[in-house]
Amino acid sequence: MSATASTLTPGRPVTVHPERATTFKDQNRRAQGRMAAWFLAPTVIGITLFTLIPMAASIVLAFFSWDIISAPRFVGLRNFQTIATNPTIRVSFLNTFGFVVVAVILQLVVALGLAVLLQTKMPGWLRGFLRSAFFFPLILSAASVSLIMSYLFNEDFGTVNKMLALVGLGPVKWLTTAAGAMVVIVLVYVWQNFGFTFLLFIGGLSSIPTDVYEASSIDGASGWSQFVRITLPLVSPTMLVASVMAIISALQIFDQPYVLTRGGPGDATRTAVMVIYQSAFTELHFGLAAAIGLVLMVIIMLATWAQFKLSRKFVFYM
Amino acid sequence: MPTLSRRAFIGLGGAAAVGTGLSWRRLSGLDIPGRNTNALSIAINGTAQDAAANQGLIDAFNKVHPDIPVRITPIQGADWSDFFAKILTLVAAGTAPDVVMVATEGTQLFADRLAYPLDEYVMRDKADMQEFFDDVHPSLIESFMYKGNLFQLPLSWNAANIYMSSKAMQRAELDYPATDWTWDDFRSYIASMRKSATGSFRPFFWTNRLFGGVVPWLYTNNTNFIKPERFSGGEWLWKQFYPRQTGRSGGFRWEQPNAEDPKVVDTFEYIQDLIAENLASSPVQGGGNELVGRFSQGVIGMTPAGGYWVYGLQQAGMRRTDYDVAYFPRRTTQQQSFGAAGYAIMRSSKMKDAGWEWLKFCVSKDGMRIAQKHPDSSSARRSYNTELYQDAGPTHWQAFYDTLDKFPTTAPIPAPPQEAAVETALIKNVVNAVTGSRKNVKVALGTLQRDLELALAGE
Repeated sequence: MSATASTLTPGRPVTVHPERATTFKDQNRRAQGRMAAWFLAPTVIGITLFTLIPMAASIVLAFFSWDIISAPRFVGLRNFQTIATNPTIRVSFLNTFGFVVVAVILQLVVALGLAVLLQTKMPGWLRGFLRSAFFFPLILSAASVSLIMSYLFNEDFGTVNKMLALVGLGPVKWLTTAAGAMVVIVLVYVWQNFGFTFLLFIGGLSSIPTDVYEASSIDGASGWSQFVRITLPLVSPTMLVASVMAIISALQIFDQPYVLTRGGPGDATRTAVMVIYQSAFTELHFGLAAAIGLVLMVIIMLATWAQFKLSRKFVFYM
Repeated sequence: MPTLSRRAFIGLGGAAAVGTGLSWRRLSGLDIPGRNTNALSIAINGTAQDAAANQGLIDAFNKVHPDIPVRITPIQGADWSDFFAKILTLVAAGTAPDVVMVATEGTQLFADRLAYPLDEYVMRDKADMQEFFDDVHPSLIESFMYKGNLFQLPLSWNAANIYMSSKAMQRAELDYPATDWTWDDFRSYIASMRKSATGSFRPFFWTNRLFGGVVPWLYTNNTNFIKPERFSGGEWLWKQFYPRQTGRSGGFRWEQPNAEDPKVVDTFEYIQDLIAENLASSPVQGGGNELVGRFSQGVIGMTPAGGYWVYGLQQAGMRRTDYDVAYFPRRTTQQQSFGAAGYAIMRSSKMKDAGWEWLKFCVSKDGMRIAQKHPDSSSARRSYNTELYQDAGPTHWQAFYDTLDKFPTTAPIPAPPQEAAVETALIKNVVNAVTGSRKNVKVALGTLQRDLELALAGE
């Protein structure tokens, strides 16, 4: 469109001088800017009040000792020293890392496997049903699911052990042994969370052109070969996003171990976020809790950075 | 892309402003009765329904004290520690209640940091208070003393007694146990129950927590995981209200971790044996609500609980004769354990006198009758406890209050000011100690000792 003239009403030409057009443009841009500011203001204010300020306060608090009742006392790096020396905190971080490795791998494998299976030929209604069924656990409350699972995995009266007894197995000490408790937590977590990863993979898989598979079939590639040489490379960008989100989420695991085992037996299923909760709201060591939170945040940032670094080698973009 | 005209935008904004204005009282909580008034603020661990149920108590109180408006604020906590953490949040926010319902778990935390001693009030109204103390066992009073001062008046309490399924007892042809039955007797009882039962029946089922977990076993072996000591002081109260009592103290002192005491090891080994022999369950996490259902279904032979269970079992359809209650069996002593609850006045309160009137009214027999209508906890008053349980409790319902009378050294669960950290340390190490190998008992108790040292040091 010409800058010198424009037609606002059909059949009625209006001449606009270039300098006035510039003024209108500027005014229009400023008006749009003001409008954008108004629309963004609630979000910006919300994020500032409820995210940025608490984050800043939490970082400051990490260098204080505060039990809510007395005034905060500056303790320098003592909270971080406690993190390094307290055996429970150390174990909780190790548990979290172990959990992340097992749960994220399992979550990605299960989600990708089921997404690939759903790409095979099947009635539309069945595909729709399975998609919903796999996604459904994600919309449930983690605490409610964990509570129900604690009944199912109860050593004495749980349904799982009753089913095992029918085939002559068990009873298994699901929640009272270190290995059993961690297995249950991983299973419950993965069952509830793979649905989102599954949906990401469904989207990723559907974006792979079918002619690539057709061409490879003509060349004689087997199903496995197609999966390894075509599907995996082409779905790798989705894999990157899914794994970043899965790792961030798994590093923050709390609900399942809190409800199922309260971190036990011993510290076998105690996680970093559980220790944050326990330090703050049970033992009233808010400074220590803030310091642990800060360490966890740094770990999450490092893990995400490392993933994006590694992705340069392993992610294939079409 | 859909567009929004300026007129529509202004219209929507106006509608939002009008809506916000109309609902402002609700949004800001101004419509909550008693909010922002000079009402005496009382925090209880419970739901809005629990608070509503107390309206009768408020009405009765206001008949006696029409000049003291009262507002009960229900605060829901998953357990007592959670409730106390929320109270502390209120304190930090500068909106602390005037009076708080505190259980044994929090008595010393409040006494140490937040609560106001009742000594001057009790002595000021000693003529009125004598009737209350005459009706209440001194062990309950002693449990609410800290460093010689009294911080709460007990309303309700529960001993860790043994509940027994009548069906399981009859099936195993067992009689009601003797008062002074021993750990060995207990073992043979549950072994008989096991022998005569089929399916997933569990002769002894227990939960992993401070009340009713390992503590009663430790007490009956004359030990505890924190060394049981007493504060000096408190003579002012004992001389005035319990002149014939001797050996009472200024409160229980929980300062020295004692997890590696040989008697503690012996206790854990005993429990470990019960689990290994399939007589007892591995201790499960939880508050015991599920346990009422299991017990009423007859799949549990015995379990530790207090008078609070009677109403739950009644609601679950059990008759008085379907179960019975006995004392905890003895090892080297038969010292029993209990937990209690009562109101405390906050140091920060500007209405301490009004708070005291509330406390006094609540511990009166009339107040108790209004506040507690069901046998869902043993009453601190012996006389009202009889009213609650004589027609509703099991055959040996007297065991509830007799726990204190027959075993006068019966003591509260160990709850120092750092109770939350102590309970966490205990719970997390109990399962390891009782479900692993025999040599693991000492390892787990060593870890418990270390965790207790950290907890009691406040680290």
